[in-house]
Amino acid sequence: MAANWIWITRWIAVIGLAIGALGIISRLQAILSRPFKQDLARPRGSIRRGVLYAFTLGMAPWEKESTRLHWLAYFRGIFFHLGVFAAFAVLFASPWLAAAPGWLLWVARIFTGAGAVFGVAGIPMRWIGENERNLSTPDDYFAVLLTSIFTALAFGVLVEAALLPIFYLATALLAIYIPFGKIRHCVYFFFSKFFFGLTFGRRGVIGQPDAS
Amino acid sequence: MTDNGKFTDERFQLTDEKTAIALDVLRKRLNRQLDAALEVCVRCGLCADSCHYYVANPKPEHVPAFRAEQLRKVYRRYFDPIGKLAPGWVGAAELDQEMVEKLINAAFGTCTMCGRCVINCPMGVDTRQIIRTARAMLTAIDMTPEGLKATVNVHLEAGNNMGVSEEDFVETLEWMEEELRAELGDASIKIPINKPHARVVYTFNPREVKYFPYLIQAAAKIFNAAGEDWTLSTESWDATNYGLFSGDDEASRKIASNLEAAINHLGADVLVMAECGHGYRSQRWEAENWLGRAYPFKVMSFVELQAQYIRDGRIRLDASVNPKRVTYHDPCNQARNGGIIDEPRYILKHAVMDFVEMEPHGAENFCCGGGGGMLSMTEFAKDRIAAGKVKADQILATGAEIVATSCHNCLDQLDEIRRHYKLKVKIQNLSELVAAAIIWPRQSGE
Ligand code: SF4
Ligand code: SF4
Repeated sequence: MAANWIWITRWIAVIGLAIGALGIISRLQAILSRPFKQDLARPRGSIRRGVLYAFTLGMAPWEKESTRLHWLAYFRGIFFHLGVFAAFAVLFASPWLAAAPGWLLWVARIFTGAGAVFGVAGIPMRWIGENERNLSTPDDYFAVLLTSIFTALAFGVLVEAALLPIFYLATALLAIYIPFGKIRHCVYFFFSKFFFGLTFGRRGVIGQPDAS
Repeated sequence: MTDNGKFTDERFQLTDEKTAIALDVLRKRLNRQLDAALEVCVRCGLCADSCHYYVANPKPEHVPAFRAEQLRKVYRRYFDPIGKLAPGWVGAAELDQEMVEKLINAAFGTCTMCGRCVINCPMGVDTRQIIRTARAMLTAIDMTPEGLKATVNVHLEAGNNMGVSEEDFVETLEWMEEELRAELGDASIKIPINKPHARVVYTFNPREVKYFPYLIQAAAKIFNAAGEDWTLSTESWDATNYGLFSGDDEASRKIASNLEAAINHLGADVLVMAECGHGYRSQRWEAENWLGRAYPFKVMSFVELQAQYIRDGRIRLDASVNPKRVTYHDPCNQARNGGIIDEPRYILKHAVMDFVEMEPHGAENFCCGGGGGMLSMTEFAKDRIAAGKVKADQILATGAEIVATSCHNCLDQLDEIRRHYKLKVKIQNLSELVAAAIIWPRQSGE
């Protein structure tokens, strides 16, 4: 009976993931169908270095005043996202979890457990902070709650395998929601960072040998 | 504008036709870069302290993301499927009268498009671009604040933004030439006008011609000392382009193309922008994109050129002429938005005895509050001066007696800050300090 549930919910998760993937593809198609604004001005700095900086050192907590000042929010975000990535790893490895080495399961438990805690913490933090509350929409709260539940269930699966069907159902829900709600920032992040590196690298402001 | 931020003038009333025009502008401007900027914000609020408005007056409406959200709400309502289906869920909103007023206050009233929030956003959100798009939409429906609108119009009609006539321009140049000759006792000094095939064409901010001709004299002294092959054009000489601030690409294009034509007619190799932050940014970084073609000449800032002259030994400076403590205010459009960060420091290390940095500085420097065309929009002056408190505190902490900068809008705003916050400092252009320190070739027996 339990095996049936696992099989059924796994397929629900697969369908959910497929729908989510289609949604993401359509978002990608939408942005790629828009014109790319060419920059005709002669470069002053290295574009390559700017883009490299945007995706590497530029994300370090000490590099931006904002993250230096709000290191707690920064690290909450980092651990939450690491937890989400670990939860996806658990998802894709779920049929073979029994064969996974013990130490790896412990690493996954730490990441998903911490991720879930830091994820949920985002809800009161968003509510308590006047600025964040003012900026927030229902989607913001729902997105973080849904992702935190997904991450918590990944942790749960690593502790109690019987939670697998619920984890699969949560996966389907999350995957379907990704292209519609705030979580879709995962798609645009790469574009935004690339354009940031491109613009400010070209102007010699970031990532250059003598610039920070 | 009334005290509660309402614009009562007839032209600020939204009609169906205006709504359609504004949305069409948004639709046409939606390129990949703007799409990413509109979509990627996670509303974390980390950008709050990047903005001088927020630091001076920490309220949610002063968070950069809040300003950008005003346009995002409209974008979601008309361009996002979920925003259309469930607007309340994702914070989408109709472009109605209330929203248009929010947009005016956010885009024109409390943002200088300085970009400090951009380099501080973990997601790389380009709020400058969002704000300029909002300004473009508002300008398309004739909702640009009066002063900014007038500045652009005067430039388009008269060829410069203060309506200076060619006669006045030439007279001022001749007067400055005489003054400089008298000051240096050198009759060979020249301010060349319309010289064909000069290497360099120099531009001015019309304020220099009208109110600060001594800055023309300073520039002329530097060019003459360096033995530069330079000239000025009477065809087009205004370094400014307030189309950058109104968001009007058509006006920006027209203004830029006038200058382009003048340089081409003279056959110069280099267009040198006066110490004017947004003028530099407009010509150096934006104009070719507005025009859709690359310039056949090089564009550089006078700051870069002065640094080059010092480096190449073309001018020699005696720093002891400037013994007072000097700090430098990086104009946002030159430093953060243009990469000119090392050059002013290099210049000041040679031109003054005691240079001290303000904190933060360079790409991280706070906007003085005079950017974004803010000085032309008097209806927002109260907020502008209040936001200048951040700069006043930065200056005060340096213990400097002179604040050097290289932008006219900064110069004006810094001077207002000086008066309002009772700072005992003098505000000066970089070139003034350089010109004063020049060891005149003939004085040193060369
Ligand atoms: S603009 Fe950047 S820092 Fe500000 S709320 Fe959005 S994602 Fe956060
Ligand atoms: S661009 Fe400058 S003024 Fe505008 S929101 Fe960002 S930091 Fe504030």
